[in-house]
Amino acid sequence: MRIVVDVARCDSHSSCVIEAPDVFDLDDNAIVLVLEEAPGEERRAEVERAAASCPVAAIRVLG
Amino acid sequence: MGTTAPAPVIDVLSPTVYENGDPESNGLPLDSYARLRDEAPCYLHRTQDPAFRESVWVVTRHEDIARIDKDGANFINAEGVNLQKFRAASGSMIFLDGDEHRRHRNVTRASFTPRAISVYAESFRALARDIVTRALRHDSFDFVAEISVEMPLNVICDLLDVPQADRREFLQWVNAFAVTTDPSYAPTPEAAMDGVVNTRRYALEAARARRTNPGPDLLSTLVAAVDTGTLNEDELQAFAVLLAGAGTDTTRNALSHGVHALIHNPDQMAWLRERTDDIPRTAIEEIVRWASPVIHFGRTSVHDTEIAGQEVRAGEFVVMVFPAGNFDPAVFDEPGAFLLSRDPNPHVSFGVGPHSCLGRHVALLEIKVLLEELLRATTRIEQAGPIRYARDSRLRGVHQLPVTVTRA
Repeated sequence: MRIVVDVARCDSHSSCVIEAPDVFDLDDNAIVLVLEEAPGEERRAEVERAAASCPVAAIRVLG
Repeated sequence: MGTTAPAPVIDVLSPTVYENGDPESNGLPLDSYARLRDEAPCYLHRTQDPAFRESVWVVTRHEDIARIDKDGANFINAEGVNLQKFRAASGSMIFLDGDEHRRHRNVTRASFTPRAISVYAESFRALARDIVTRALRHDSFDFVAEISVEMPLNVICDLLDVPQADRREFLQWVNAFAVTTDPSYAPTPEAAMDGVVNTRRYALEAARARRTNPGPDLLSTLVAAVDTGTLNEDELQAFAVLLAGAGTDTTRNALSHGVHALIHNPDQMAWLRERTDDIPRTAIEEIVRWASPVIHFGRTSVHDTEIAGQEVRAGEFVVMVFPAGNFDPAVFDEPGAFLLSRDPNPHVSFGVGPHSCLGRHVALLEIKVLLEELLRATTRIEQAGPIRYARDSRLRGVHQLPVTVTRA
């Protein structure tokens, strides 16, 4: 599983940080930051929830 | 024999439907929602009231609400977001789309993230403790007036530099423009407009005063945006109206509906009382699902499209009924159960698209801290009289919730 984010779309809604706090964070400008680009399978459910909950569809999960 | 009774008219958008809501079904027309989701998930609602749009499509399934709300390119806000024609926050980002919407939203985006909000944790707790202490001087009181109103009102007034002495009046202004259909909030049509004018004037004066004494607060951030030309003063005023309306009513009502639900679900109350050191996020999210503080928002379809099999034309108005989505059994197991450990909980109370609630993390923190302080200070809360709902199909107001408490 690999995570791709479109930082240009990020509007700091922070849904991803709530759903998967070990995988996503926000930087000092409140733009999404991926802490782990290829998290283990055990994180799949929360990562997919984070992607699905992004209000501006800035997160894609590949593989 | 011979005559068939006419089919009951289903109406989920008249203010009186919510004013006369049955507390046994959480004040919501849950049976009507269920029938609409099953039989007419996108139906044409007509009304004669000149204050309302004549005809709108009403969407009740979670799946369709989420699709419309997320698709800001094809379902836009510029033509309005409510059944009511009245626009309190005219000129604010809620009526903007695309890049213009982002220009406004980006001004305060960093002020509303969970981390940014966490700096308020201590001041919110002090406020909550103060409110609870004052309310508990009496054994019986109106939970709405003494507690629900106070928490968000004071949080918003702190953000907008409204002094203590002016907060009662500020509350009346906000109530009048936020709930225009209820005469006890907006006694005359002029009251709503006056509320807007006063709030705008107030915000402008506060902003100008803040300019000489800037800090890390929200108002300073807005003033800085004016100084750099990102916002103009008119837009700053509109933002203040939006913030005041969105921030006071919704959180107030979430607290009232939440405590009403806790009183009527003793097992959930007991569960929560065991967790007052740090109330889990699932509990607050379930309260927000249950409360469904915003009944509807609408969008205008940009193109001819299809929603739940129904053809919708370009330019037509589509209403998303959020509580109908929040009680949709296609998404929630036992939607009629108030379950504080519910996880996941993909409710739509904050919206799920580009316009989703800016103050979401503020609201969640306010509710969490207030409930922690309330439950620590009491051993028992009982209802002491009927709950009274507001006459509105936009915000799900609670006028009154009499309670009797036992102090810890």
